[in-house]
Amino acid sequence: MIIAVLLFQLVSLLVFFIPTKHKALFASLIVILNSLATSWLAFPALSGNTIEFLFNAGSFLGEIPIRIDGLSAWFIFIINFTSITGVIYGTGYLRAYNETAAKLNLHWLMFIVFHLSMVWVCMLQNGFAFLIAWEIMSLSSMLLVIFDHNNPKTIKAGINYLVQMHISVVFLTVGFLWVYFETGTFSFDAFNTYFGANSNIWLFVVFFVGFGLKAGFIPLHSWLPHAHPAAPSHISGVMSGVIVKLGIYGIIRIISFLKSDYLLLGEIVITISILTGLYGIMNAAVHRDFKRMLAYCTIENIGIIGIGIGIGLMGIGNGSPIMYYLGFGGALLHVLNHSLFKSLLFYSAGSVYQQTHTRDMDKLGGLIKLMPKTAILFLIGALAIGGIPPFNGFVSEFILYSGLIEGIKSNDLGQISLLILSIAGLSIIGGVSILTFTKTFGTIFLGSPRETLKHKPTEVSKTMLFPQYAIIAVMLTVVFAPKFYLNIIGNLLKGLSSATVGFDITGFTNYASTISNISIYSACFIGLIILIWAIRWLATQRLPVASNATWGCGYVAPNAHMQYTGKSFSKPLGKIFSFFLIERKNFDELSTGEIFPKERSYSSYYHDFFEFRFITRFSHQLVNSSGYFKFIQNGKVQSYVLYGIVFILAILIISALNII
Amino acid sequence: MLSLLLILVAALFFTGIIIRTKSLASGRKGPGIIQPIKDVIRLFKKGSVYSQTTSIIFQIAPTIYFASVVMAMLVIPFGQSKGIISFNGDFIFFAYVLALGKFFSIISALDTGSSFEGMGASREALYSMFAEPAFFILMGSLALLTGYTSFHEIFAALHVGSYISYAITVLATFVLVMVAMIENSRMPIDDPKTHLELTMVHEVMILDNSGFDLGLILTAGFMKFAIYGALVVNLFIGMVRYEYAIPMFFAIQFLMAVSIGLIESFMARFRMSHNAQFIVALTSVSLLIFFAVLLILGKFA
Repeated sequence: MIIAVLLFQLVSLLVFFIPTKHKALFASLIVILNSLATSWLAFPALSGNTIEFLFNAGSFLGEIPIRIDGLSAWFIFIINFTSITGVIYGTGYLRAYNETAAKLNLHWLMFIVFHLSMVWVCMLQNGFAFLIAWEIMSLSSMLLVIFDHNNPKTIKAGINYLVQMHISVVFLTVGFLWVYFETGTFSFDAFNTYFGANSNIWLFVVFFVGFGLKAGFIPLHSWLPHAHPAAPSHISGVMSGVIVKLGIYGIIRIISFLKSDYLLLGEIVITISILTGLYGIMNAAVHRDFKRMLAYCTIENIGIIGIGIGIGLMGIGNGSPIMYYLGFGGALLHVLNHSLFKSLLFYSAGSVYQQTHTRDMDKLGGLIKLMPKTAILFLIGALAIGGIPPFNGFVSEFILYSGLIEGIKSNDLGQISLLILSIAGLSIIGGVSILTFTKTFGTIFLGSPRETLKHKPTEVSKTMLFPQYAIIAVMLTVVFAPKFYLNIIGNLLKGLSSATVGFDITGFTNYASTISNISIYSACFIGLIILIWAIRWLATQRLPVASNATWGCGYVAPNAHMQYTGKSFSKPLGKIFSFFLIERKNFDELSTGEIFPKERSYSSYYHDFFEFRFITRFSHQLVNSSGYFKFIQNGKVQSYVLYGIVFILAILIISALNII
Repeated sequence: MLSLLLILVAALFFTGIIIRTKSLASGRKGPGIIQPIKDVIRLFKKGSVYSQTTSIIFQIAPTIYFASVVMAMLVIPFGQSKGIISFNGDFIFFAYVLALGKFFSIISALDTGSSFEGMGASREALYSMFAEPAFFILMGSLALLTGYTSFHEIFAALHVGSYISYAITVLATFVLVMVAMIENSRMPIDDPKTHLELTMVHEVMILDNSGFDLGLILTAGFMKFAIYGALVVNLFIGMVRYEYAIPMFFAIQFLMAVSIGLIESFMARFRMSHNAQFIVALTSVSLLIFFAVLLILGKFA
């Protein structure tokens, strides 16, 4: 049966031969079928039955264990759902490109490969095979990112992504080889032996860097703000929703094998995560490009997930089951939640981009009147991502806060201080995310249009709206049936690691019932809003209503350019944190003799602190120093022949002298 | 339930007392203390003017803002009697529900497409962002001190015993009062009586609201004051019996209103650019509380 599922996946490559017109439809069908098949495969694992079989991959790779446990199944379900919504949304989003057959051909093929490779990453438990799947995932997603390859910026973002993903692969390979040389096998079981016998810290750090590059922990995040704006929106949605989460999957997978040093690693992870969250959201707040803003916001959410992982690790270290369950539980639930609202936000932002062809929010405005459905969808995503009740983000953030507060009951001064600061950090992240999303929503959708667009935007097609409704439906199930999800998470956490076998889950189930109560209160809250709205409607229906211009301090000829812009909205924040929100302005200053100034332009933009201060400098140095070796590659055939002769002679002489 | 009733009663008079104090301090007789309520009732009966730029967001925002404040009010306990909603970690719910209201009031200001209202909205978002950690560190420290995580249990277990714990209560009162000032946009963060749109924070955000909606926003403001007042009261009453606790409640609310009135009469608003620093300084006061709690619990040993 399982073999049949795997064989079917090969069939899906037939998409290559389908005529362009039907390709998108066929691709969606294949993605849905593949998702159903793999979900069906993974389903028993959610209730705690690990599915395991060996796959003989010839003499070189040997037996590859394919194992789907609760953790894999959780991620497989998230991958499948987001891929389905992505492919349906993409069908509508790319409709305009139907003439460009070559682009679409590669795109849909790669989408299917991408989806399957992500699922495989979650199933393979052999280092070598894992790396192959991981590499296929990175390559296929890179090809998806550069869909618009006529644009040099897109190519640049794609190459940036490719290079960074390969740095990640180097770290992962080093990690797997390290274990291989110590234990003699690539199978994941080898980690148990390795971690049992050796120091846990360094190997974990190697893997944390490798997977952290994918996930986007600072300072490894710099590919995200380039790749996400460059990719088509359904790809950004899937990448941000799922592919970065596979970095989290990898980290949790490695954690499940750890044997010691939990406390130290937990403290490291939680510190990096808080900084990641703050850095991500502060940057998100100042950017004008709304897809770049969402990319930074993804970094922030990775930070929030990391906080959960950190709490969980500290929980294992302290032997505190409640911290363990709340930490990892919050992290895993936030993985789900973020995959939902982030893909929703990318899709609705993509709808805006499709209709307006600009990503600069300060050129937009008043879209709620032209695209009301998209506006409401974006608003729901914005509220959810801010962790505001009654939406799903609150559920996971509440669990994380509870984990932090349970943690401060410990006896260690250092831990208590770290956790109190984490609480403060998480609350600042929440505050800035409100600033970020009020700014984004307000600038794009509210007020009046800031610039006249070439085409008048209209509401997007049903194909693009439907997946977003589906996402909201799932979001609501998280809010109103949190117990369902928390039970699954509780189950899968029970068997996650050998260190947590005896951990008592009752504390977590108590929290689960508290959270179910919160969903009742959320329902009451919605009821209260409706009640007050009804009272307002009753009280005001007889009253006169007039419509007039916005109050402009008595100024009677205001225009749309006088509106407050998104840039100015976040400027005070940018000023306060100018030490890492580096702003650069491009303009010619007025010279002293210039009595009649010419027309001039002004533009300002923000640099990424780490990229600007470290990565670019480092890579420039690298390029400069490689300049010294240019003389070798001088383009003369004669020199190359000479190199060959020198080399052969050297070999001859060395072997003649018995040196090697 | 009891807390809800008490907060509602306090909300009726709170703003009136502030205004009365201010007028007495400036040598005027001033309006009666239920004048603000009368104003609101009048607003409820009035028609509305909507800006042509606005959308549905502008119309639902005041309702959601009001509902969020009511929801937050339900969480507040009164001494031994729980709030209507009480669970472990309810103070997180409290802060985040208020955030929903703030979110909507900010986007409703942006909905008008005005050149001033966005400015106020930006400031409000920034200030409340900075105030957040102060509140969370305060509540986290109190949770650490008492070992409980819901408002009701924390306050019920808060024993004022040693000298350090008096210091904690004083500092916590200061933090809560200041958070209340920031949340309600009063002095020294914001001057509700200022005349220039450019220097306003909260007032400029609601410039275009009128009629029933404005009434809702103002009422929510009254309740917000009483909510924070009730939190301050809760720091002191603990397990005190009702016959003393209820008069104490009103006395403290009255005292808070009078002191707000006095502050507003004799102080000028901070420079806008210094507000952020001031609010961050509040976080350090919260950290002081945290250290005091560590001292009490002997964690420094």
